[in-house]
Amino acid sequence: MGAFLHHFSYDFKTGIRDRSRLLMFYLFPLVFFFLVGGLMGSLNPYFLPTMIPAMVLFAFMCAALLNLPNVFVTARESGVFRSYRINGVPAASILAIPVLGTLVHMAIVGIIVTVAGVRIYGGSAPAAVLGFVAGALLSYAAYAGIGALIGVAAGSGTASILIAQVLYIPSIILGGLMVPTSILPGALQRISLLLPATHGMRVMASLGGIGTATGVPWASIVVLAAGATLGFGLAAMLFRWDARASQPGGGRMALALLAAVPYAAAALIGMA
Amino acid sequence: MKESVVSVRGFRKCYGATVAVRELSFDVKRGEIFALLGPNGSGKTSTLESLEGLRHPDGGELSVAGIDPSRQARKLARLIGVQLQTSALPPAMTVDEAMRFFASYHRVAVRKDLVEKLGLGEKRSVQYAKLSVGQQRRLALAIAVCHEPRVLFLDEPTAGLDVQSRVDLHAMVRELRESGTTVILATHDMAEAEKLADRAGILLRGELAAIGTPRQLTASGARRTRISVSTENGRLLAEDVAISGAELHRRDEGYAVYFSENPGKSVAAILTWLEEAGDALVDLRVERPTLEERFLEITSAAAGAASKGGK
Repeated sequence: MGAFLHHFSYDFKTGIRDRSRLLMFYLFPLVFFFLVGGLMGSLNPYFLPTMIPAMVLFAFMCAALLNLPNVFVTARESGVFRSYRINGVPAASILAIPVLGTLVHMAIVGIIVTVAGVRIYGGSAPAAVLGFVAGALLSYAAYAGIGALIGVAAGSGTASILIAQVLYIPSIILGGLMVPTSILPGALQRISLLLPATHGMRVMASLGGIGTATGVPWASIVVLAAGATLGFGLAAMLFRWDARASQPGGGRMALALLAAVPYAAAALIGMA
Repeated sequence: MKESVVSVRGFRKCYGATVAVRELSFDVKRGEIFALLGPNGSGKTSTLESLEGLRHPDGGELSVAGIDPSRQARKLARLIGVQLQTSALPPAMTVDEAMRFFASYHRVAVRKDLVEKLGLGEKRSVQYAKLSVGQQRRLALAIAVCHEPRVLFLDEPTAGLDVQSRVDLHAMVRELRESGTTVILATHDMAEAEKLADRAGILLRGELAAIGTPRQLTASGARRTRISVSTENGRLLAEDVAISGAELHRRDEGYAVYFSENPGKSVAAILTWLEEAGDALVDLRVERPTLEERFLEITSAAAGAASKGGK
């Protein structure tokens, strides 16, 4: 346990010391929040009521999709995992610690966004804080599971960036962050169900008592929980210590795509 | 008779259709420094990495400190120390953090003395990415020995080190041997192997071409001693000079260089010839064949055999 805590503490510090992590954890999401908060708040009447879950989710996406895969890919490619292996660092710690370290940074960003969103921009505060936190944790788990999976399955840093972008950009446009998915055309609403952001927005708004959302969105909770479980499970299964490990990349990616099954099922069923 | 700590029996390693190591067998005893030598692609790193548990053998049996490396990797990590040829630490990790980090996983106290001993005392708060290659390798060595392993694997340990750091590292490896640590060393530096190793094995195309003490290995070769002679008047450098029992190898920078299978007799013949020719000795060097020469002899013989086989 001592080693795990020590490793965790080191990873957390790296989140501030490492410039690329600092950028993805704090600078990019917070600068975006302060810019978009001022602009969209005055232009888009739909934005303010869901601004806080939207900007928290945006921060999760920056950290989990744009940073986390890179952490795994670069450590594997540069031989850091080899050093870990020969010194008895377990694979479970290697996978879990960056995810947990990032979560602590996201908690800090979430508090900044929530307080500033309410105080500066007049965003809707969560009426049920614990429900909001539970929804945020579930959404983070879903995105972190995908980020970890991309990191272990992608053959290179370039591939991981491309794969992450396939999810990141549509999540911002169609995931309910800027405009509610309910005002999208029917076909796009279906497509939006493929994105964890859509389910995350529903869960955080409903459980947090934000805006007009009411009740418990069980379907989205199940989709996010299943997505997170599959993401982390497949990441553990496909984990490689060594960039030189000879496993066909195509097969790995096909297996990794299984993590999309809950989202695909939601889109096929067209759940309400 | 010391116990065998590392045992390799019929080890085989393949990468697809390519056989990297075939039917390799050797033992390394407790407190021994064993050098694994060979040209690039000879199977050294495959053998070392399989012993370290980083690769799975495709045949044969491996045992390190009584443990099968491919099955008990976690247990093995506590008994071995490894300085890999290609490895790294997180770029933002400082020297002190690295020592604390790995000491916590090995469940031992932080060894600040090692940091000092390896000349990293002033670099304790410097991040890994900002260390020179030599400092990074010294840090890797400090981490490898921080838990006092029973077996230490060193893959090209002095690559990128300056002369003083090499000397310090050699002294440290000898100290470890004195304390009972078994050291397995893979190197391209034959002088290093000759100085450090108690025994060495030469790998060629995945097979053990020769094994023994450096002295045994060099003695098993052509057994020709090199005699280099420099004189006041340079009479030995003339074209028509012949010394009985010595074969002229080259004339170079004022030295006549001979090979001889009977150096005592040849030196006496040279001195007699000089006296008769009215010349005087300035410098005389008698050098036994080096491990490097023996290594080159073995590798060229193997290359020759392979090209004949190819025809």
